[in-house]
Amino acid sequence: MNSIRSVLEGVGSTLILFMRSISHVGTLSRQKSRFIEQCYVIGYTTLPIVGILSFFVGSVLALQSGYSMQDFGTQQFIGALVGLSMVRELGPMMVAILLAGRVGSAITAELASMKVNQEVDALVTMNIPPAKILVLPRLAAVLMMMPVLTVISNLVGWFGGALVCKYTGFISVEPQQYFQALRHVVKFKDVIDGICKAEIFGFIVVLVCSSIGLSTRGGPREIGAAVTKAVVSSLVLILVLDYFVTKLLLAILS
Amino acid sequence: MFTQFSNSGESVGFRENKAVGVSIEHLSKSFNKLNVLKDFSLKVAPGEIFVLMGPSGSGKSVLLRHIIGLEMPDSGVVLINGKDALSEDIREHVRMALVFQAGALFNSLTVFDNLALYLREHRLGTEKQIKDKVMQALTLLSLEDAAKKYPSELSGGMKKRVAISRALVMEPQLLLYDEPTSELDPVSSAMIDEIIATLRDQYRVTTIVVSHDRDLAMSIADRVGILMNGNLIHIGTPESLKNPTDKRVSDFLYPKVDLNNPRFKKIIP
Amino acid sequence: MNNSQQTARVGLFFLLGLALIYVTYETLSGGKTFSRSGYTVVAGFPNLQDLKPTDDVRMAGVRIGSVYVTRLGKGRAEAVLQIDPQYTIPSDASATIVMAGIIGTDYISIDLGTTQAPALKDGAEIKTKITPDIASIMTQMAELGHKLDSALSSISNAVNGSGPDGGVFQKFNRLLSENQTKIDASMTNLQEITGKINRGEGTLGKLVNDSKLHDDLLAAVGDFKATASEAKNVMASAQTVLDQVKAGQGALGVLVYDKQAAEDLKFTLHDIRDFSDKISKGQGTLGKLINDDSLYFGLQGTLKKADRAMDGLNDSGPISAVGSLSKSLF
Ligand SMILES: Nc1ncnc2c1ncn2[C@@H]1O[C@H](COP(=O)(O)OP(=O)(O)O)[C@@H](O)[C@H]1O
Ligand SMILES: [Mg+2]
Repeated sequence: MNSIRSVLEGVGSTLILFMRSISHVGTLSRQKSRFIEQCYVIGYTTLPIVGILSFFVGSVLALQSGYSMQDFGTQQFIGALVGLSMVRELGPMMVAILLAGRVGSAITAELASMKVNQEVDALVTMNIPPAKILVLPRLAAVLMMMPVLTVISNLVGWFGGALVCKYTGFISVEPQQYFQALRHVVKFKDVIDGICKAEIFGFIVVLVCSSIGLSTRGGPREIGAAVTKAVVSSLVLILVLDYFVTKLLLAILS
Repeated sequence: MFTQFSNSGESVGFRENKAVGVSIEHLSKSFNKLNVLKDFSLKVAPGEIFVLMGPSGSGKSVLLRHIIGLEMPDSGVVLINGKDALSEDIREHVRMALVFQAGALFNSLTVFDNLALYLREHRLGTEKQIKDKVMQALTLLSLEDAAKKYPSELSGGMKKRVAISRALVMEPQLLLYDEPTSELDPVSSAMIDEIIATLRDQYRVTTIVVSHDRDLAMSIADRVGILMNGNLIHIGTPESLKNPTDKRVSDFLYPKVDLNNPRFKKIIP
Repeated sequence: MNNSQQTARVGLFFLLGLALIYVTYETLSGGKTFSRSGYTVVAGFPNLQDLKPTDDVRMAGVRIGSVYVTRLGKGRAEAVLQIDPQYTIPSDASATIVMAGIIGTDYISIDLGTTQAPALKDGAEIKTKITPDIASIMTQMAELGHKLDSALSSISNAVNGSGPDGGVFQKFNRLLSENQTKIDASMTNLQEITGKINRGEGTLGKLVNDSKLHDDLLAAVGDFKATASEAKNVMASAQTVLDQVKAGQGALGVLVYDKQAAEDLKFTLHDIRDFSDKISKGQGTLGKLINDDSLYFGLQGTLKKADRAMDGLNDSGPISAVGSLSKSLF
């Protein structure tokens, strides 16, 4: 009963935070430096890990599908498989998961410690809404950076798959053939779909992590608990939403 | 030093304010069945300095948070100029500042940016004017060297002074101090006392000070209240504290240090 | 790190992202707006099948370019082929659409042509050959399969018998079993007759020594032989048909891959086995005819006797009956 109540409270406070942040959207042009700073944290500093993991996700995807396809002799279609999976599913998903782990946790930790140190209260007494200067720039930054991270993840994943296809004995598909199959199947629309997905995931991760951070009460112990809660909620939300967003995008497609 | 601050040009220093009065009516607040405030009532006149004393954990900070609108009362109401402290009208049009007990400085910002944040967010002047104003407030509390430092690089006393200067930059009509002189050396404490008094004298800032500092209460307070067990057990002029009739008040204000019969022995036999 | 440095990095990062999105777009849209190098030739076909832009153009198996765009021309479909600049196509080379596999991608295959012919210029038309696409071949094969199917099922009906008097074998079987007594009787009669002949009774006995009649009998046996060889021919041609089927040639070859037909065939063969089983178990007249030693020896004796005393035998009825029987069997 209590847990249901706390979930509902979480949903409610997240929605309220969303509305509050949106209501200050006009002030964004005056918050350039905060926006740039958040872009830097969310985008630039997340790039290396996104690159590395995407490379290996693409590689392992090629390896596994090559292994299962070798009996059918359909290895030349790995490019199509890796290309489409990366663009529609794994790219956005990977970026969102990394965002939750790397950026979401940091957001929650920072906002929770601000809350615990009464910095948030101080902002309120100064009549500066926390949603305006703490949440809005982050939301804007994540919307700005997700497409970039996603497209990098896609391309790196593709190349990872291509490399594995070329240098794995039982696959032995030349990059030219790999990319031909890829180009044949992957449409630019798929890339856009993937980016839409990434935008939704990224926005939700940042919003939920902010909300959990700002509703922290107590001391340093609660900061740790809040971070755990934020990351777990983000991951669950990403995976559950993924299904519905995919369905929605496919419905729009047809 | 302070004269310099108050006599400077229009962009710097306090605007002439219409002083605000605070009226707390039948305020009750409890946290998880712990009754912190019980039917608490208090009126603070515009331009008055009210000093609130009381033992630790008696709910002084909670009371200040109610006045500034950070806490919702369980019952009762806080009125500022006759209007609910939580209303949008008060939030928008009455400048109130609270000097937090622990400072509540923005740890990610330098001391300068801590002070400038309010001015920048509310677009109170050009960057140049903001800089002058901030530097003046810092100089006032001998903090000019700390401008570029982060809060984590400051001592406890410096943090407190930064917190006060951050409140001053806001030019508040109602200024609440939560133990402003704890952790300060006697000279700094005296300086804070002077600042509080001068602000009130020249700009009619309504002031509520929570403090354990008897000297502060005696020297600058118009009235003093003692909070105990969720309500005021005494309210009166500083003179009335000199010879308190209530045993609880005299025990609180003038505790005897009895080394032959220590208090903790009574608690831990 | 100072603020402007951070701003610069974020700016760079964002521009990089935009550039990569553009690169992705270009990669996926087949480089339409990418700098196009080389020249184009136009190939007209009645049907482009599954051909898409970005599909390969190969000359003798070597990739020399790609399909740039597909469009409808006057009464035909046209594929504009983007050929890499280092390759030339002789004007007598011709293009066909090739399917790489059932789930593969199409490509345009151009043969080598002759080296004497002048090279095609930018925008020129290339000759084309129409190849039936694999899909239409498959449909035709499916139709063939259907026809075979119905043919086989009618055969199986005829053999198996679904009509009121049953199939061929059943009729035959019935014929033999119904007339068993008559046949037995005729056999006894024959024995009696030959006995009489043996004993030199009647005209027949006398005739035994007549060589002309012996020759006639020989001729009758010759007839029997001819009939048998005819049957052999039939068997041989059946064998060739079978071989063809085995080699997968002709319509029957498909039969092997057609499940329904195979099922029918199995039923038919089953009926035949049934029949031969009955025969080997000695059921029915024919079975007895073949299995019953006494009858066989009787017949043999009869024939031997007939050999010796054929004089009076003008009636070669039973023998031609066997001949026609063997004929009808094939
Ligand atoms: N947010 C809160 N949740 C639960 N208990 C609280 C909260 N804020 C204050 N309290 C309790 O209220 C009492 C009064 O606290 P406080 O006003 O800070 O005391 P002080 O008079 O020393 O400033 C304390 O017992 C404290 O534990
Ligand atoms: Mg306190």
